[in-house]
Amino acid sequence: MIYLDHAAATPVDRRVLEAMEPYFAEKFYNPSAAYLPAKEVSADYEAAKATIAHAIGAKASDLVITAGATEANNLAFTCLKPREYPSFSERSLAPVVTGIGRSVFATSANMLLERGHSSRLLYLVTEHDSVRRVAEQYGGEAIGVLPNGLIDLEELKRKITDETELISVSLANNELGTIQPLAEVARIIREVKLERMKRGLKRQLLLHSDASQALNLLDINVARLGVDLMTLNAAKVYGPKGVGALYVSHEAKLSPLTYGGGQENGLRSGTENVPGVIGFAEAVRMAKEHLNGNRKKYAAWRKILLSELQGYELINKQHALDSFVVLCYNDVDAERLVFLLEEKGVYVATGAACAASKGVKSHVLKAIGLTNEQIAGSLRLTVGETNTEEQIYEAAKIINGVIEGEYDRCSG
Amino acid sequence: MQYFSLVGNYVIIMLMKTVYVGMSGGVDSSVSALILKEQGYKVTGVYMKNWSRDLPGMKCPWAEDLADAKRVAVRLGIDFEVWDFEKAYREKVVEYMLEEFRKGNTPNPDIMCNQEIKFKLFYEKAMAAGADYIATGHYARVKPFSGTPRLLRAVDENKDQTYFLYRISDEALAHTIFPIGGMLKPEVKKLAEKKGLHNAYKKESMGVCFVGEVGMKDFLKEYIDVQPGEIREIESDHVLGYHEGAVFYTIGQRHGLYLDGEKGVMNDGLPYYVVKKDIDNNIVYVSKNLNHAAIWTNNLKLKDLFFRSWPRPASPSTKVACSSSSRKNEPARSSLVSSGSLPRVAGANSRAAALRIATSQKKSSSNIGVRLRHRAPLIPATFDGDTLRFESEIKRPASGQSAVFYDGEVCLGGGIIV
Repeated sequence: MIYLDHAAATPVDRRVLEAMEPYFAEKFYNPSAAYLPAKEVSADYEAAKATIAHAIGAKASDLVITAGATEANNLAFTCLKPREYPSFSERSLAPVVTGIGRSVFATSANMLLERGHSSRLLYLVTEHDSVRRVAEQYGGEAIGVLPNGLIDLEELKRKITDETELISVSLANNELGTIQPLAEVARIIREVKLERMKRGLKRQLLLHSDASQALNLLDINVARLGVDLMTLNAAKVYGPKGVGALYVSHEAKLSPLTYGGGQENGLRSGTENVPGVIGFAEAVRMAKEHLNGNRKKYAAWRKILLSELQGYELINKQHALDSFVVLCYNDVDAERLVFLLEEKGVYVATGAACAASKGVKSHVLKAIGLTNEQIAGSLRLTVGETNTEEQIYEAAKIINGVIEGEYDRCSG
Repeated sequence: MQYFSLVGNYVIIMLMKTVYVGMSGGVDSSVSALILKEQGYKVTGVYMKNWSRDLPGMKCPWAEDLADAKRVAVRLGIDFEVWDFEKAYREKVVEYMLEEFRKGNTPNPDIMCNQEIKFKLFYEKAMAAGADYIATGHYARVKPFSGTPRLLRAVDENKDQTYFLYRISDEALAHTIFPIGGMLKPEVKKLAEKKGLHNAYKKESMGVCFVGEVGMKDFLKEYIDVQPGEIREIESDHVLGYHEGAVFYTIGQRHGLYLDGEKGVMNDGLPYYVVKKDIDNNIVYVSKNLNHAAIWTNNLKLKDLFFRSWPRPASPSTKVACSSSSRKNEPARSSLVSSGSLPRVAGANSRAAALRIATSQKKSSSNIGVRLRHRAPLIPATFDGDTLRFESEIKRPASGQSAVFYDGEVCLGGGIIV
């Protein structure tokens, strides 16, 4: 078996599994309980959160642990409070009076539920569905990308209005691996903020970034990137599924997603997923430790694939994560390739319509200007820790063979 | 095309007949495609996209079914296409079904789907695309007889699906292959396993796929505006409880009745049966009397009759599809042995069939029969133009269901129960 779909899921690393194991049956205590063993579990949990937080240059208290990245993205959009910027009145919990003379805190738990202000929420058109769908729910407006997959900064500037409060741009795209120039986006946001302040307009303007794909492949620092909210995902970095986190800077104020015991700073009540977070922390620790080595390794494998594979057109030529190779083949139905490769034990993904994408063509490939034919012939190969160099050569050979077979079949 | 470059290949290609096979992603249609491929046909698999809407609490599995179908096609090395019949399916099958339910009937959408979609639109499109035949994974057989195809019951009695196929046109049937009609289900499964297809799909495809796991009731709730109403005991006219909407209930049904236990009506532990529906006033009538006349009958009036061509040895076969419009107001209660001239071809043929049922029955009543439900046993009966008569009383099937006639293994046609 050669697994080339690490962007979809990664196996839980053995060390991660080992780190989690004691917290299921042995150290099972509720972190909120009063007795000492429970306090120890609580301390371990907090330490694990700190490990995750430090990996992105944040504090444990900045993180809200969620059940995966989708929930973290939803938390960011659904629960962001309407707020003026900079707000000092927030601390004293005094109502903030808006321009139209009413208390926003008194009327609205979450600003985005008020529809009709499309520019309040901007998101990159190539975002994952867990951003796109929730953004659409609240009337968000999409920002286009350039043919190379990078955010169209000019369009961003044009679309930011005095209403805009949140901009969401992923750190690395999940279909192309395209690394967005977040620092550039943050710089534009800072300028807009300054300009707003000059005019006495105090509305907040926050940057959210879904970094699910990038945590083990890029050196992430929230301050350096200039993000206010950031989504993390354990399942993409050899940690357990169903565990994620939202980094929330002091600039962003959220309402609770769930109500209950007040865990996660009161934003997401519910007994902590201790083993999950312990595993997440171990995965993050490993990712940090091997970051440079892995990047080098993946970059070399990408090179091998690009030189060994034949007859393709490379889609993600630049600005991509080292582990992503997105190709397209002319006059080939990539979904057939997926099934043919599956028979030979090679697992890959496609952006083509049908099952791979619930019957919908990849909105990402469409956004970067690919034709329907190109999309139908597109393959996404994402290498990772399950692979070896031999496997990469072998996979290239198998893919070449399958492509040839398909061309033969089509020409009778 | 490259195959024309070799003379040998060229000849083979020219001899190969082209088949378009409907593939649902289930084992039956998968094995059908496999058999056709092994028999040397040029096979193209087609997934008919009939419904893709998600329903509350249920994700429509069409994309997964499609992937299963395609995976099998790819493994067999055959071409594969997706044909979108969603609009037609909605108009011809779903609207019909909803309309019938609104009227208080219990329609069979699978029969309509075969008549309007699979053996009409799919057939026509396949022929236009150059097919010699179409094929499906139905358990049924087709045999030509004097130039007219006869629809025969499947060898696997348990799986026979001719009940759903009795209304498909002779023309389509003449160009249809049922590759697994002569096989038993276990044989089909075994063949799939032997050829390594058993891992290519997840599950068997279901009949009314789009209601799948939601259930018909929840599906109908999405489309039919219903009001709660009274459940009354038919003998006393007392209100015993309330229902969610009369259209959801069928005659003879005993489950899903919300009866008020406090009035003591349930104390004797005997169940109530639905015996009557007053759709206009939204009242469901129930009775404890299992022998209530509404539940039992020895005759069934039919409408929208459809008789399969039944070539008589003496005369050439005639097309005999009886459309509902041509028969609606026809006083068809002619006596069984009447020799009076009949003005319409349709009438003549239906009566010919009726005669045949009756005469055959005299020969051997076990050989002839009516099926009132998919997989139900054949019941001996006579037919006199619009009414089925049974020797003994039967439990009354819901109106809107079909009665399908058989002479031995031959499906003669049938009609919709009034």
